[in-house]
Amino acid sequence: MSTDATRSGGTAPMRAFLEGGHALAEGAIQAGCRFYCGYPMTPSTEVLEYMARRMPQVGGVCINVEAEIEGINMVWGATGGGVRSMIASTTNGMSLMQESMSEMVLGRVPAVIVNMGRGQGDYFQCTRGGGHGSHRMIVLAPGSAQEAVDTAYRAFHLAEKWRHPVLIYGDFMLSHTSETVTFAPPPDTLAALPAKTWVTDGARGRKPRLLTSLGMRLEGESGSGPAEIGPGGHSGTDTTRPMRDAVARHREIAAVETRVETAWLDDAELVVTAFGILGRFARYAAKLAREEGMKVGYVRPYTLVPFPYDTYAEIGARGIPVAVFENNAGQMVQDVRLGVEGRAPVHFIGEISMDGSGFGVGPKIDALHVLEKLREVHPRRGAA
Amino acid sequence: MDATRNGHDAREYKSDLKPIWCPGCGDFGVLTALTRALANVGRPPHEIALVSGIGCSSRIPGYTTAYGFNSVHGRALPIAQGIKLANPDLLVIAAGGDGDGFSIGGGHLPHVVRRNVDLTYIVMDNQVYGLTKGQLSPTAALGTHTVTSPEGSLEAPVNPLLYVLAYGARFVAQGTPADMAGLSAILEEAIRFPGFAFVNVQSPCVTFGAPEQQLKAHKEGLKQLAKIDYDPTHRMKAMALAQTYGRELWTGVFYRDPSPPPTYDALVRERQRALAADALPRERILELFAQHDGEPGRAEA
Repeated sequence: MSTDATRSGGTAPMRAFLEGGHALAEGAIQAGCRFYCGYPMTPSTEVLEYMARRMPQVGGVCINVEAEIEGINMVWGATGGGVRSMIASTTNGMSLMQESMSEMVLGRVPAVIVNMGRGQGDYFQCTRGGGHGSHRMIVLAPGSAQEAVDTAYRAFHLAEKWRHPVLIYGDFMLSHTSETVTFAPPPDTLAALPAKTWVTDGARGRKPRLLTSLGMRLEGESGSGPAEIGPGGHSGTDTTRPMRDAVARHREIAAVETRVETAWLDDAELVVTAFGILGRFARYAAKLAREEGMKVGYVRPYTLVPFPYDTYAEIGARGIPVAVFENNAGQMVQDVRLGVEGRAPVHFIGEISMDGSGFGVGPKIDALHVLEKLREVHPRRGAA
Repeated sequence: MDATRNGHDAREYKSDLKPIWCPGCGDFGVLTALTRALANVGRPPHEIALVSGIGCSSRIPGYTTAYGFNSVHGRALPIAQGIKLANPDLLVIAAGGDGDGFSIGGGHLPHVVRRNVDLTYIVMDNQVYGLTKGQLSPTAALGTHTVTSPEGSLEAPVNPLLYVLAYGARFVAQGTPADMAGLSAILEEAIRFPGFAFVNVQSPCVTFGAPEQQLKAHKEGLKQLAKIDYDPTHRMKAMALAQTYGRELWTGVFYRDPSPPPTYDALVRERQRALAADALPRERILELFAQHDGEPGRAEA
């Protein structure tokens, strides 16, 4: 790696040639992350190893914790104290963290959580989750090392803007692909953030604060429903309030935070869609298809939650078939079908394709393979 | 060395799979010692269940002919208890590494010990995460340099021998593949012990382990309890000896309860027998849980 990335400060934006996992880690540091923990698991170990080197230099804390459950709860505690905090894990480790992630949504704990997954088999886990209680995460899926950096800034920004945990979903290829990246906050992350009125950093001289998922509310705190702990003691609890609030908040988030990359939709006869780093294969395959005379459009959701349903609804309204390329057995394809609302054919052209280790990149992660699949499902099959 | 005492041969217990451990890994020695111990115990492979978690050492069930599998990281002990309680006639062994057992799975250890389920737990302790290429382990000494503790760790290590003794385990031992005869004997004794038996094996990681944790160092520093006047029937003496973990390499049986009480699985069977002989009729049990006063769920007579 370039040594530039290990220096902070200075005026010119830092540039460095880094693996995606390391780039994301440095992006988090630049975004102000000062507490990190992780447990070894490929391919999120790279984030942990980078943080172990880097965090002490900036006065932060990095802990190789005893397991993911302890890690997510340490991040909960550190975030609750007002420190920008992050944990990265992988697939199975994410499964372990689901209970706390659910409670952090309901308790409004704005931590950043990273899943450097194995393949893309965690789409359901990331967007629905194994968690409970009407919770949804905000889920961002970067497609390059640069976007991983930008996403680190954005994740912390969105987390505090909405007082909501944010999940970044990458994979082995993103973590291990080296690219030149620039560290500078994206313009949309420069807007002023609300005051952290929720931080539990000591109550001296002011009313106590309560960071809870249980629906308890302090006397004088804003919000609906009765105050739970007043001068006279407990006055009841409404545990459904955080759930109803979370659902309402998600509608607001979906209205303004949905992000999607599109290309060549105007004249498209077929649309190819993929998320994360696989979007680059899909986009290149679409370009190759156009060279062959097939008018293929391209869509890459960047926010997996909120999902860009409207983009697919427009494609569906025009009756354009959609080919969904994923490195799994077909997960995002369900959201695409929800989006087109049955008004256009949706073809799943992905499959589980990893190397023998079960982590790495398999032979079907290939633009020419995607192109072949596009030829198969193109409405004017063989016309080119 | 694959000699038999009872018609069984250690080779019977080794599968045809070639281990993918690094050449020189301590776990090869553990596998050999274990198959020798099993041959001496003499239970046929199909009556043995060997379960592990995730890690380099947790591949060991695949290299034996016992019924077995590797499971989820850190969960070998709950799974082993399930196996034993559901099929108490099986000989059950749980195995894994120090990260699997004392880090992510550490919360399970006190409970299997206090429950005293009749199974053997073998930990291949190498003070490092080998499978993920060299991160800090819970048994790594204070100040250990790894990729996740590049300036040296700030955490004191777990002392597995001391913890397990303090939880109340009735058989606690330590071995090393630097002494294969001793390791086989310890494993055999652990397997034969009626109740939860714990064996910590100092099993070097040749790729990521420290020089002072390699077999050569083990051979030079080896201290065998069998060669001194040591009585393993005193828990407090064993706990005093266990304090040397990480500084001295004592091998042998640290503690063995001279009069082990009935195991949990035996107590379960005893209660089943007692209740089967004098069981409440089903109607009486339904009545205990039935809702009254016209509530739904009332048991029909």
